[in-house]
Amino acid sequence: MEMIKNFLRQFTVVPLVGWLIGSFVAVLLEYYLGDAISYYLYLPKIPVLFGALTMLKEPLLIPSVLAYDLIIYIVPVLLLGRLLAAFSNRVATWFEALPLWLATVVHLAAFYGILHLWAGINDYRVLVVKLTMVAIILTVSLNIINGYQGEFSCSHPGFMALGAYASSSLTLMLFADDKMFGAALLPPALGPWLFPLILIFGGAVAAIGSLVVAIPSFRTRGDYLAIISLAFMFIVKSAIENMEFLGGPRGMSSQPNYATLPIIFIWTMLCIWIIHNFISSTMGKALNAVRDNEAAANSMTVNTRKTKMTAFMFGAFWAGVAGGLFAHVLRYVNPGTFGIQKLAEILAMVYFGGLNSIYGSIVGAVSISVLGEALRPLELFKWIIIPLILILVMIFRPYGLISFTEINVKGLMRPKNRSRSGGAE
Amino acid sequence: MRKVTCLVVALCAVALCLSANAWSFGRKTVIKVGINAPMTGDIPKVGEGSKYAAQMWLADVEKAGGIEVGGKKYPVEIVIEDNESKAESAVKANTKMITQDDVLIIVGPQSSKQAVPAGDVANNYKTAMISPWSTNPATTADRPYVFRGCFLDPFQGPVLANFITGEFGFTKAAVLYDVASDYPKGLAEFFKAAWEENHGAGSVVAYESFTTKDTDFSSQLTKIIRSDAQVLFTPQYYNEVALIVQQAKDLGWKGPIVGSDSWGSAETVELCGEACYGQFFSTHYAAAGAKGATKEFIDRYTKKYGYTPDDVAALTWDALRLAQTAIENSGKLTGKIKKDRAAVRNALAKVEDFQGITGNMTFTEEGDPKKCAVIVKISDKGEYEFYKQICPK
Repeated sequence: MEMIKNFLRQFTVVPLVGWLIGSFVAVLLEYYLGDAISYYLYLPKIPVLFGALTMLKEPLLIPSVLAYDLIIYIVPVLLLGRLLAAFSNRVATWFEALPLWLATVVHLAAFYGILHLWAGINDYRVLVVKLTMVAIILTVSLNIINGYQGEFSCSHPGFMALGAYASSSLTLMLFADDKMFGAALLPPALGPWLFPLILIFGGAVAAIGSLVVAIPSFRTRGDYLAIISLAFMFIVKSAIENMEFLGGPRGMSSQPNYATLPIIFIWTMLCIWIIHNFISSTMGKALNAVRDNEAAANSMTVNTRKTKMTAFMFGAFWAGVAGGLFAHVLRYVNPGTFGIQKLAEILAMVYFGGLNSIYGSIVGAVSISVLGEALRPLELFKWIIIPLILILVMIFRPYGLISFTEINVKGLMRPKNRSRSGGAE
Repeated sequence: MRKVTCLVVALCAVALCLSANAWSFGRKTVIKVGINAPMTGDIPKVGEGSKYAAQMWLADVEKAGGIEVGGKKYPVEIVIEDNESKAESAVKANTKMITQDDVLIIVGPQSSKQAVPAGDVANNYKTAMISPWSTNPATTADRPYVFRGCFLDPFQGPVLANFITGEFGFTKAAVLYDVASDYPKGLAEFFKAAWEENHGAGSVVAYESFTTKDTDFSSQLTKIIRSDAQVLFTPQYYNEVALIVQQAKDLGWKGPIVGSDSWGSAETVELCGEACYGQFFSTHYAAAGAKGATKEFIDRYTKKYGYTPDDVAALTWDALRLAQTAIENSGKLTGKIKKDRAAVRNALAKVEDFQGITGNMTFTEEGDPKKCAVIVKISDKGEYEFYKQICPK
């Protein structure tokens, strides 16, 4: 134990920049040498998702996969992170002098570069990353309602469906020749440029749809919202199933391929940033006050009704955007997708990650998505393991893994050498 | 000292890199066949049937020492991916099998809601895919790389309408279907259109619907019985068939009830019991009284897994045999996966008069087979008896 602690203490001086440099080198290593190394280790191909799938499918290859992970990821990241700590701390200090937004953008750009390289090795990774980021948007937006607002809403798949169908029908109508809506109305070259507007339209439709839930249910508190919102989800699903012009139960397919990795990444970051600003604004504080004690908040001049409605519509908006992205990643939507199974998935991500925390939501979304993907070879047992993990989390951390913590961008990026006696390392 | 270490590491890396170019193509060529099946989720029985059929096929191929292409035998592997009966998982599974496992051809997904989006992936990556069970026209439409192993609903609807007309001479029919599920809804529409073409508008006297997971059909059935329809057509899955047929009998329905290929599961009779005896449905093959290769397949499957294979297993078997034929006819394997996939696809499109256990197949331009449907009667012992075969003109 002591040894591990000592070992880990070695790395407390590495700032975020250092980890980014390390990961960048690791990814470059994989990009150029991955194939050769995997060949020498008798692996059939570069393992995706760090070899989790290969390990579960062929236990004989476990040593090879572990060796591969060590050579490609663990050793370079740790070694470079530690060796370059002095240098990266200097860079971090330099970043500290820059305006916060600029430093953040540079960090994010670097992170995206690494992600792009890593995912670019295999299209399966691209797909997993894309769907994971869509899951992040969904989880963070549901956290506004179920976490910050303290309600229990079940209508997220419904909002997602509204967004997905609204944006899909727009793109199909405007930029694609298809059987459902006929020839394209606008030149398809415009499509990718107008795609953001289409997503916003999808979000707006979802936000307006959310009023159907919000207006009747926010007169009361408690279980009513859960019931009404669950009903809303089923209403949306059945309504779309019965709308022949939207494809009915057969769904809509062949949306243009606009949801590329950078687009989704930008939207995810925008979502996190805007929601972070929202919850740290006056409105967000008011929202927390309403959650803790509505009567007290009301007496402190908080307009509770307006606060709740705004937050609910805001969450629904982002669910709609996520739905639009989802539809354009899969390039197919059918109403059956937006049912109780989807709801269970999103709720699991929110409660696993942690209430009242964007950070937690990201952790929840990423871990449930990646876990779901990595354990796929176990087939039925996967559905025993994931719920078990959830139960354990609920027992030991009832509010989720990381709850009630906010992202501290500045703290995340700061140089790590100063806390110890002020000097350089 | 550190500089020296760095240099050595860099040199080693370069050496590794150079040697890799010579080596990385030296990997053995293995024919990989992907199976995209719902092992978990709503219809695990379907996934199980696909998996068992695939394992039987693999055992056969291994016994023969692999698949022979261009005079050389290649070892064969199957990659089974679970699509959880979800659209996005089917897409993920296909992407994974194509980009990571380097499969030559994919068999599956079975249901249309997964086959439509997964077919898009297969087509984009130019990998041949055969969906054994999907009946939605969108699965193969405008996708040169996507094929299917079964007949389509636009064929099955008229077959049933004509069969009922010819067999019983009825003129008034009722339809009860699930409006929320893509397959029953489509088939109900095709049946209605065909029936009204035969007997004039309004001859479908009751056209009733319900939603997935409904269990009480008494209001719809009462309407149907009052409408003095002579026959009830219900293209539902096995769990609903049992409920509908039993409830109809209880409410006093006397006429025949006719179903579609979704009745074909072994569970139908088990759940439905005697109420279903004597009813008809159209399907891909009839297990009882089968002959030749079909009988051989059924016997082997029954012996190994303990129950009669349903149509999904038989169709998956045929799809795999089709894939094998296409690989064998593809000329030769170069080891370059993209080229080989294109060759396999072209060979598959050219397959003519393939002798499957569910009938003979030749693909149309769209990748749909021209295939006969079988009308099955559920016997007094609850077996699926061959009654009649109806072929496309």
